[in-house]
Amino acid sequence: MIELYHIWKQYQKPDWALKDVTIKVNQGDFCFVTGPSGSGKSTLLKIIFREIFPTHGQIVVDGRNILRISDHKIYRLRRTMGIVFQDFRLLFHKRVFDNVAVVLQVLGYPRKELRRRVFNALRMVNLHQKMWEYPSHLSYGEQQRVAIARAVVNNPNIILADEPTGNLDTELAYEIMSLFSEINKKGATVIICTHDRELIRHFGEKIVFLYKGKLLREENI
Amino acid sequence: MIPQKFKHFQRETLNNLWQFRARNVFSVTIICLSFLIVGIFVSLSNNLQYAAQQLSQDMAVVFFLNKDISPIDRETITKELEKSPFVQKTQFVSSEEAMEKFLIKFPDLKGIVDNLKLNPFPSSYEISLREKDLTYEETQPFIDKMRGMKGIEDVQFNKDWVEKMQSLSRLARAVGFFLGGILVLASFFIVSNVIKLNVIARKDEIEILRFVGGTNIFIRIPFLTEGTILGALGGILSLLLLFVVIKLFPVYLGSSLGVLNELINFRYLTFSQSFALIFSGAVIGLFGSLSSIAKFLKS
Repeated sequence: MIELYHIWKQYQKPDWALKDVTIKVNQGDFCFVTGPSGSGKSTLLKIIFREIFPTHGQIVVDGRNILRISDHKIYRLRRTMGIVFQDFRLLFHKRVFDNVAVVLQVLGYPRKELRRRVFNALRMVNLHQKMWEYPSHLSYGEQQRVAIARAVVNNPNIILADEPTGNLDTELAYEIMSLFSEINKKGATVIICTHDRELIRHFGEKIVFLYKGKLLREENI
Repeated sequence: MIPQKFKHFQRETLNNLWQFRARNVFSVTIICLSFLIVGIFVSLSNNLQYAAQQLSQDMAVVFFLNKDISPIDRETITKELEKSPFVQKTQFVSSEEAMEKFLIKFPDLKGIVDNLKLNPFPSSYEISLREKDLTYEETQPFIDKMRGMKGIEDVQFNKDWVEKMQSLSRLARAVGFFLGGILVLASFFIVSNVIKLNVIARKDEIEILRFVGGTNIFIRIPFLTEGTILGALGGILSLLLLFVVIKLFPVYLGSSLGVLNELINFRYLTFSQSFALIFSGAVIGLFGSLSSIAKFLKS
């Protein structure tokens, strides 16, 4: 369960990126965070995986206040999360396989098991035939799918995705969302930031509306 | 899990070394030259130490006697030597024995000696001192007393030479460590900055590793290994270069320096000195990279 209590975030005075946002996302929820550009969607995700600290407020993930976790122990939290960044953050000097495998290398998976899992993750996003290519040789949409494969390869409890379908055509966007939906059905909590209303309407179970850093409303469908 | 991580570290270290080879070669060269300076001075110091040891091995005092010394005076000298606490062994060398020794050492000069009508070599007492590490100051009163005795014409004592040689050796080592120390410090900063550049070049990768749950140690190890390898490699290369210098230097100087050749005929470093040099290189590399990656991870 992810609980955010009265989160405020200010990057520079006098503007607030988030203003007193309180949200609760239950285990196994498929949650969309939506709102126009600059509404604080990405900031919210960054706070959840503790890339940044909120100015005020508390965040509890699976019963632990993550703001109290020391820097050298934060890896434990991040190992339970899969993150898809808006800009993918792929390593362009490494092959697709290695980009996905990096998560399992960190965890020290044996080579055989690592290969099996990476292959399965890439097959899931339909990129297994391109696993020995470099990301620069892939299309934008394919790069995005590599980022998704990397996020899901170790079956994390929580998946955070920032505009994961932003660069994909409608068909592929639905495919990717179906993928997240499948992962969610296996028990993972999924939080997706998007402003694609069609996708939200089709897949949304819980929707959080943000506007200029404020929580407008929450809907459970 | 650990063997898998070990393989990962190995692969990442080799990747780093190869990917940034130009700047890595640069830092290895700097370390190598710094340690070469230290090595040359340690080698010179070894050489002087060796020379001092050689001298101290046959450290003896020779009391040359007057030609016309009376038996009573000789008896007095003998007694004085026997009761001295410094003397371990006394050997009387007659003028005939002295000439024989000379001719054995310098057979080419036999003609000159034969032409002399009388034996120019004085008889003498050759004394071995009881303790080899006696200082010049400690033995000086005894030598002076003997010098003043009737029948003694001259005294030859190589202890002061030994001490001068040892002081010179210490000086060479100190200069080496001082100059080398400055250069080694400079190489520390160079390694540190080279690793920092490598870390910055891999900034994105480090960031991703942190987001997917990589520990600081996991991120650090390839860079630390890289720094250690660069440092150790610099140390090894400096030893090889030192070997070349030691081999080529006497050839370059030729034999024109005569006796001085022995002094500049460098001896190679001992095993423990060579090991210490490589180990120091590795430590400098390790700490250089540690300082840069620590700063980066903190930021």
